Parts: sequence; structure tokens; C-alpha cells
Amino acid sequence: MKKTIFLILCYSSILIAQSVDKQKEVNLFSPSNIKKFADYLFCSHDYLRAALEYQRYLSTNHNDTVSYKIAIANSKIGNYSKAAKLFTSIDHKSHFFSDAQLEYYKALFQDEDYFELRNDIINADSSNQFLHSPRAKKLFYFSYLFTNDSLPSENQFLSPFDGTDFQRVKDFYNWKEAPPYKSSLVAGILAAIIPGLGKFYVKEYSDGVFAFLATAALGYLSYTDFKAGHDIRGWVFGGVAAGFYAGNIYGSIAAAQIYNVKIQFDFVNSLKIFLNAQDFFIPEIKFCR
Amino acid sequence: MKWLVIFLVSIIVFLTSNICAQDVLKKQFAYAKNLYSNEDYYDAITELKRLLFFDTGCHYTFEAYMLMGKSYKMGGKFSDAILNYTDAELNAKTIQQIYQAKIEIIRTNILRRTTDRALQLLGELEKDKRFAHKANEINYWRGWDFMFADKWDDASKSFSKIDSCKQLKYLAEKVHKDKYSEVFSNLISHFIPGTGQIYTGNYFSGFLSLGWNILWGYVTVNSFAANRIFDGLVELNLLWLRFYNGNIQNAQNFAKEKNLVITNKALNYLQFKYDGLKP
Amino acid sequence: MKLFLCFFILLSTIIFAQTDWQKWGKANYSYALKDNFKKRELSFDAKNPGRFVLKSLLDSYWFFISDVDGDNCAFSPTCSNFFLQSVSKTNLVQGTLMFFDRFTRDMDFIAKIDFYPRVPDGHFYDPISLYTLNKNEINYIPPSVVVNNE
Repeated sequence: MKKTIFLILCYSSILIAQSVDKQKEVNLFSPSNIKKFADYLFCSHDYLRAALEYQRYLSTNHNDTVSYKIAIANSKIGNYSKAAKLFTSIDHKSHFFSDAQLEYYKALFQDEDYFELRNDIINADSSNQFLHSPRAKKLFYFSYLFTNDSLPSENQFLSPFDGTDFQRVKDFYNWKEAPPYKSSLVAGILAAIIPGLGKFYVKEYSDGVFAFLATAALGYLSYTDFKAGHDIRGWVFGGVAAGFYAGNIYGSIAAAQIYNVKIQFDFVNSLKIFLNAQDFFIPEIKFCR
Repeated sequence: MKWLVIFLVSIIVFLTSNICAQDVLKKQFAYAKNLYSNEDYYDAITELKRLLFFDTGCHYTFEAYMLMGKSYKMGGKFSDAILNYTDAELNAKTIQQIYQAKIEIIRTNILRRTTDRALQLLGELEKDKRFAHKANEINYWRGWDFMFADKWDDASKSFSKIDSCKQLKYLAEKVHKDKYSEVFSNLISHFIPGTGQIYTGNYFSGFLSLGWNILWGYVTVNSFAANRIFDGLVELNLLWLRFYNGNIQNAQNFAKEKNLVITNKALNYLQFKYDGLKP
Repeated sequence: MKLFLCFFILLSTIIFAQTDWQKWGKANYSYALKDNFKKRELSFDAKNPGRFVLKSLLDSYWFFISDVDGDNCAFSPTCSNFFLQSVSKTNLVQGTLMFFDRFTRDMDFIAKIDFYPRVPDGHFYDPISLYTLNKNEINYIPPSVVVNNE
């Protein structure tokens, strides 16, 4: 009988201990559960919630993986300046330090803070091995394509690129070095010589044709009216023709300016498409398999 | 005897621990509901997601997805709401729950103004024999769907199938009667310029339009009569036809504009003053 | 089929997760339909005599002619509005030149689709900021975009 009681006591104590463990497990807000839930959110691409849960976890624990993931989550949702700050806070002893460095530069790049990016890289400690990596160099040189600062030499610029990228990047460099802009002055002079020619120069062909037709037709009407002695009508049509003529010169100058902004826009757009197609901004470390 | 006691102890401890776990989930659901009642919809969804993540026994799956759907709906994120209601429907345990989720999907579609989709879903629901006793409710939401689709006559027909829905039936009928006919307005302005505008109550515009058409019509006819064919063609194209077409465009636009005012007045009444169930 | 379904579910999870990338609150949605009908701003403008005369002339044009002769301008703002805005922004001479250029472009029925973005009511978006000859004011919008200019 004593033996039986002893056995029952032993068994129930094990079960009770397990049950206590289980109760701990069902505390949804225990640090380990918060982290589990945050990991799940992170892998479901619910990055803002994941970042908030990770932050909650960090209030009681220290974990550099979690800090790194908060920064990644912020970068993913487009909070680049906050992400950049968080990447710099990763300790240099951390396993993620070098990745955080690269992500930091990527965040600056995506935040279009090219000046800060170049400044940081130029002033960084030369012993920093990361700065010698091709990725950092690529970011550094790419940033020149988005600003109006003077470009480095072609050889220097193209040094980190190879393979199929090389020709494409070279084309970008050449475009940036000598953009195929149209001159407003030339557009204005051409429009003054022949109405509509300025619009042809900036590739707005049908606008050019209509400008020519409007000016010529009204000019002709004015001429015939003067010839027929209808002076008032002659002056009216002549005035309107003069308006179209002068308006076309003005419009050609404006069109050249718009043309230049448009090709600059297209250039930046194709650059961004190129960078995205290269998976340039996808984080190096994959947490979700 | 010994083994019986051991067995009983095990059962008791196992049940206690499970009840504890369920209690935590119950509290978590209550917490999420509280956030929802306080209009903190974003955080309510976070807590519901947490509940779903830890509810491995799927005790609250249906309820959690339904509440997530409601939260997204309140935030105006209708597509997300429908996605969550669909998940709720997939996790429903009873026919009543399936119906509940389907109706929520329909209501959200009405609110999102994807009224054709709502109509299609209502048709499917009507054909489903499991919901044969829900005909009144189905007609009620069909009526709402037609109101949101600006088909007031159809709405009135749907409401007339329900005995207890006289108020909405009369409202839909009234709106249908009050609305101007865009086709009629367009048609009469083809025959006599300005009459379309006059029909919609825009008297000044109507008479002005008529005046311009008489003037340019006279000038054009005069030119043709005097054998000034080129002048006549220019006047016809650039002046008379311009005002004639403008009169037709205006007649239709005025009818549309007036109808919009009538429709919006009714919709505003439904949103702010009507006491019954709304989408 | 299963693979496709899995891919679809994964994709929809990712797309729908993006709606929560910024915290949001209760929405104020309305049952009422959107009123896209444009209302003319017919008012006296007494800022200076020139503007008073110009605005009064344009008001008369809108009231007696433009409002009854239909929708004839493919652009937004309309040519008359463009003229008023140009003169207000620059001066009478530059505004007039901008108007003549706009009128020429309005006559061109061939290339508008390739050059201008549209506003929700289908008109081509062509604001005066592109033509003041101030490069910094030029905000290029590709033709594929629908601009909400309200």
C-alpha cells in the first residue's frame, strides 16, 4: 500500500510539473512566445507587426538577430531612414555586423540620401574590409548616376562591374556623362525660322504640323484679305497668325525643357528597373525558408 | 485499484492543463474583442493573429477570422475583409456559421460596390437548399445591392417580396419615380434644342441653348440661301453643330447630375437615419 | 493545380500583408456616390483692374457660351482656364503666348495619347506649371498615369 501511494505521488508530481510547464507555454506574452509570433509575422511579410513584436521582445531580452530583423522589417516597409539608423546600431561584434553595414548603405541608397552614402564610405576607416567589397563599390558608384555631381573616371566607375552588367552600366555612364538633351535656344530659333520646326526638333511632330498649318492658314487669310481690301479682317487674321507664330516659338522652348525632364525621368526609371532586376536590394540573409 | 487511481489522476491533470490553455485563448479573444469595441482595429487584428497562431486546436478559428474581417471592413479595407471572411467560411463548423460568413462577404461586396459579385453570391445562396429558409434575408440584401448599384426599381421589387420591409420598398419606389430619364432628356433635345435642359429644370440654360441654335441656324441657312456655300459650311460646323451637340450633351449631363443628387439624398438617409440592418 | 493554388494563396498573403505596413484606423466611408460634375467658379475678382476685366470676360464666356456649347476641350484645365491661370501666374504677354501654344496643342488630335496623362474624367492633364519656363516647376508625369487633380 505504501508503495502504491509512493508511486501515485511520484507520477502525479511529474504530471503536475508538466501541467505547470504547459501553463507557462500558453502564456501568449512570454518572451519566447512573442518571438515565435514575431517570426511568424515576419515570414508572412507582415513587417510592421513583426517589428512591433520584436521590439516588445527586446524590452526584456537582448538578441542581435532580432535587432537585425527589426531593421530589415523597416527597410521592407519603406522606412529607410529608420532602417539605416537601426542597422548602424548593430554591434560590431555581432555575427550580422557586415551584413548590417551593407544593408545600411542600401537603406541610405533607397532613401535617396546619396550624399550621406558617399560621405560615409569616403570617411570610413580604410581597414574596414566591407568597403572593399564589390557590392559597396557598386552602390558608391551607382549613386553618382542619381545626382548632378561630377562623375569619377570611366575606368574607376566601371571597375566593380563585370559580365553582362558591364555593357549596361557603361551605357548608363555614357548617358550620364553626355545626356542627349535638346537645346531650348535651338528649338526657339528653329520655330522662328519655320513655325513648327522647333516642335519637330523635340520630336513632337504632329504638334509641329498643326502649328505650321495654323500659322500658315491664318497668315494666308490675312494676306488675301489685305489684298482684297478687307483691312480689318486682314488685321484680325494677321494678329491671330502672329499670336500662333510667337506662341509656337515660346511653346518650342518650353517643349525642349519638358523633353529634357522627360528623358531624365526615363533614365532614372530605367536605372531603377535595372537595379531591381538585379535583386540589388534583397537582403543577403534569408530567414524564412 | 492502483492503476485505476493512476489513470484517474492522469485524466484530471490532463484536463486541467487543457482547460487552462483554453482559458488563455478565451481571454485573448476577449482582449481582441475589447480592442475592436474601442475601434482599435489594427491592434485587434494583431491580437487575433496571435490567437490564431497559438490556437493549435482551432477552437477560435472561425470567430477570429470573422472579427478580423469586421476589423478590416471598419478600416475600409474591403478586399482584406473578404479574404478573412472567406477564411472564416472555410473554417466554419456549422451550416449557420457558413451562412454567416457568406452573408458578410455579400455585405462587404455591396459596400465595396462590387454589386455584380454580390448579386452572383446571393443567387448561389438562394439556390443552396441548406439556406431555403433564409429567402427573406437573401431578398433583403439583394434589395440593398440594387440600391448600391443605382437600380432602384429592382430594389423596390426585391423589398416587396418581404412583408416587413415596407419602408425600404417605398424609399426605393420614390427614388425610382423621382429620377429623370436620361434617354428622354437626350431624345427631346435632339428634336427641339434646349428642351432636355428645360425638362430637368435648368430653364435658363435651356432657353439660352435654344437661342443660340436659332441664331446660328438662321445664319447658316442664310448663307446657303445666298449661295455662300463655304461660309455656310464653316458656320454649320463651327457654330450651329457645336451648339446643337452641346445642347444634347448638356441635357444628358443635367439629367445625370440631378439623378445623382436624388440618389445621394436617399443613400445618405440610409447611412445616417435608417435604423435597420445595413451592409 | 495544387501548386498553382499554393502559389496563389502565398501571393495573396503577401499582397494583403502590405495593407498593414502602415498603421491605420477607422475609415470614414460614405454610401453616397462621388460627384464628378465640375462646378464653374463664377465670381468677381477684384485683386486688380486687369484681373477683374479678364475674369469678368471669362465668366461671361463660360456662362453664355462655354456652358452651352458642350465639352470641346480635351485638356484639363480647359483652354480658357489655362489662359486665366497662365496670366495669373505670369503676366498678360507670357500668359497669352502660353495660351496660343496650348491652343495649337489642342488642335493636334493625333498625338495626345502618347504625351499626356489623364485625369479620372478622361481629359488630358496639362497644367500650366510645365510651361512657365521655370525648369524646377516641371513635374513630368508619364502618359500611362491617371492623375487625381482635385
